[in-house]
Amino acid sequence: MFAKLKKKIAEETAVAQRPGGATRIPRSVSKESVASMGADSGDDFASDGSSSREDLSSQLLRRNEQIRKLEARLSDYAEQVRNLQKIKEKLEIALEKHQDSSMRKFQEQNETFQANRAKMAEGLALALARKDQEWSEKMDQLEKDKRFLTAQLQEMKNQSLNLFQRRDEMDELEGFQQQELSKVKHMLLKKEESLGKMEQELEARTRELSRTQEELMISNQLSADLSQKIEELQRYYSTLEEQRDHVTASKTGAENKITALEQKEQELQAFVQQLSIDLQKATAETQEKEKLITHLQEKVASLEKRLEQNLSGEEHVQELLKEKTLAEQNLEDTRQQLLAARSSQANATDSLETRVKELEQSLQASEEKLKQSSDVVAAQEAQIQELASANKESSCAQQQVLALEQQCTEQIHTLEAQLSALERARADDHAAAERKVRELEQENAGLKESKNECEHSLQHHQLELKKLKEEWSQREIVSVAMAQALEEVRKQREEFQQQAANLIAIGGEKEQSLQEKTEVILQKEQEILQLKKGHDSALLQMRQLQSELEALRSLRAEQSEAADEREDLLRLRSQEQGVVLSISEPHVTSRAGQDPAYQLPAAEGIPNGEMGTAMDLGQLQKEKQDLEQQLLEKNKTIKQMQQRMLELKKTLQKELKIRPDNELFEVREKPGPEMTNMVPSVTNNADLTDAREINFEYLKHVVLKFMSCRESEAFHLIKAVSVLLNFSQEEENMLRETLEYKMSWFGSKPAPKGSIRPSISNPRIPWS
Amino acid sequence: MGGFFSSIFSSLFGTREMRILILGLDGAGKTTILYRLQVGEVVTTIPTIGFNVETVTYKNLKFQVWDLGGQTSIRPYWRCYYSNTDAVIYVVDSCDRDRIGISKSELVAMLEEEELRKAILVVFANKQDMEQAMTPSEMANSLGLPALKDRKWQIFKTSATKGTGLDEAMEWLVETLKSRQ
Repeated sequence: MFAKLKKKIAEETAVAQRPGGATRIPRSVSKESVASMGADSGDDFASDGSSSREDLSSQLLRRNEQIRKLEARLSDYAEQVRNLQKIKEKLEIALEKHQDSSMRKFQEQNETFQANRAKMAEGLALALARKDQEWSEKMDQLEKDKRFLTAQLQEMKNQSLNLFQRRDEMDELEGFQQQELSKVKHMLLKKEESLGKMEQELEARTRELSRTQEELMISNQLSADLSQKIEELQRYYSTLEEQRDHVTASKTGAENKITALEQKEQELQAFVQQLSIDLQKATAETQEKEKLITHLQEKVASLEKRLEQNLSGEEHVQELLKEKTLAEQNLEDTRQQLLAARSSQANATDSLETRVKELEQSLQASEEKLKQSSDVVAAQEAQIQELASANKESSCAQQQVLALEQQCTEQIHTLEAQLSALERARADDHAAAERKVRELEQENAGLKESKNECEHSLQHHQLELKKLKEEWSQREIVSVAMAQALEEVRKQREEFQQQAANLIAIGGEKEQSLQEKTEVILQKEQEILQLKKGHDSALLQMRQLQSELEALRSLRAEQSEAADEREDLLRLRSQEQGVVLSISEPHVTSRAGQDPAYQLPAAEGIPNGEMGTAMDLGQLQKEKQDLEQQLLEKNKTIKQMQQRMLELKKTLQKELKIRPDNELFEVREKPGPEMTNMVPSVTNNADLTDAREINFEYLKHVVLKFMSCRESEAFHLIKAVSVLLNFSQEEENMLRETLEYKMSWFGSKPAPKGSIRPSISNPRIPWS
Repeated sequence: MGGFFSSIFSSLFGTREMRILILGLDGAGKTTILYRLQVGEVVTTIPTIGFNVETVTYKNLKFQVWDLGGQTSIRPYWRCYYSNTDAVIYVVDSCDRDRIGISKSELVAMLEEEELRKAILVVFANKQDMEQAMTPSEMANSLGLPALKDRKWQIFKTSATKGTGLDEAMEWLVETLKSRQ
């Protein structure tokens, strides 16, 4: 690329230089043309000479006049030439002086500039080296610090990891302890449950025992009741027998009584008969007495009637009355006696009757009693029989009772045996239970011991935990402190980084300034080179000019000699040649305007050396001017070239995507990664501009996708497409703008620029 | 004008598509991962000459996922796609011990690009279902990930064919992208 550019530049400079070289070509051409013209003029003279003689006189006259004029002019010219020569000399001197001064100035400037440059370069190099050293030291220090800190961080991390591991272990230990404790508790609970079960069994057995004892008691009571009943029955039986005896005795007594009562009845019946006879007698007496009473009452009545009829006889009456009262009293006494007898009789009868009745009643009662007693006897006999049967039954019952008692005793024995067995079993159970209990207690004690141990270990662990926690807290504190220190260090690091960044920035700036200065230096060097070139060319030109001048001087000397001779000759021939001169002079003057310098050498035959030198001077001045112009042009072209160079560089850099500012830094600061990049063949950042072997499939795919996919996706594909199809920056931008226009709702369509044709605007290497 | 309005619209709807690149050597399983993420099933793939681009929606975030072919001849074109990338999913074949060095150098070279300076890096240690697969820590060390500075990165062990590990990785990516916004 650069080679091509250089070639291009070289070509262009060559083209630019050509005009300078070309200035000589017209000169040569002018020489030839002048020569030809001179030849022509010679021919003219000849033709003039051969032309008509009539005009010659007039012509001669004219020529003479012209010659005179020309001579005057010539003298003027000579004067002018002299003046010009003087001026020329002055100018030469001035030029030399100027050259010398310019040379000196150049040299001085050059020296001073080089000295300055060397000083600046040295100073900058020294400062750079110093700063480099400082920075490298600082960087080393920072890196050391960083390493130290990273090491510390690592240690801290390790410590924290250890801590976490210990914590985990502690947690695990606690978990194990808890598990063991829970196991022990579980075992204890199981043992307690088994103990409870055993106790329950024991209680059940004791309950059974008590029940069997109660049953035994009940059966004993039953047997006692039965024996009591038997006794009662025997007693009842004896009483019943006594009652029977008694009843038989009362029966006999009742029979005796019955006989006595029957006797008494008979007696009483006899007495009743007597009494009834007495009663009949009493009744007969009462009837008589009543008849008497009635008689007496009649007599009383007749006496009362007599009393009523015989009042006078009162004493009689009274006596009668007295008698009557006495009679009545007698009567009443008798009556009362009768009544008394009667009542006594009635009473007696009544009593007798009542006695009879009572007797009858007693008889009946006794009969009833008898009946009852016989019934009782029968009942008692039945009872006795029943009792006998009952006795039998009782004997049976007693036997049964005995059997029952035996059974009971047997049962009791068995029960007792069972009881004893049960008791033994219970004792055994109890013993076993006690043993178990003891075992359990031992186990319990063991467990308690283990528990205690566990608790101890737990306490120990807790202590350890506490210690560890304390340690942990200490370490945490330490770690916090470390973290703080770290943070401080980080801050410091950041500050250092910032300082480093600042320093780097400063370095970058300095380097940029250095670059700029170097660029300036380069430019100045280039300028110097150009100036040197210019100087060289100027020197060359000067030398040429000098040589030319010398040549001219020699020529002039010759010419002056020749001119002197020719002047003499001219003076001799002036009249003859005046015409010729008068003709040639305008030619010369006319030609002198165009190419005054090279006309004269061509017109060697013409003896006007003075004029030639003057023309030479003018020519020299013109040449000088030309050279100066050439110099200016070259300078301009050089500037243009430089501008072009810069533009080309910029475009090149853009194309290569290299930032000119970072280039130096990247090269210097990233040697490591680039080295690593270089070792394996990294392809993703390979230079695509060089790799022209495009996978056609890839190109096809990308273009197809670019055309078919969404605009938002296509937007990201612009770069790929433009890289693949070798688009220029403008084309890529155009594509981007077009897509943006398509994507946006507003905006105007970007006008296609003139630089779309890539083959014309930007010739590039075709990718095929 | 248009950009202004589109920015207003995008701020109104608030669904900017995240741009994710899936990179890695050829045969690492990039295309399988892309379609596993998009349709959730294993597709039969052929070597990608070019790229695949799909829109994947995950947890209300839209991703424009670019799966770029990883063959050596087309690896240089990766950097045509780097601009405006939010995250890079770097897929590495866990069984390919021979080419892990190449994978590392490609990764390192990629991460040095300025355009990817802010991109989040997710490394998929793929093909973990194979027996001789390397562990993620081993891979992280051999890829030189611990040496990375100023970059959010995470390594996940994945199996595109079994579909394991992808959700965790995408979860992490979504969270990281959300937290970065």
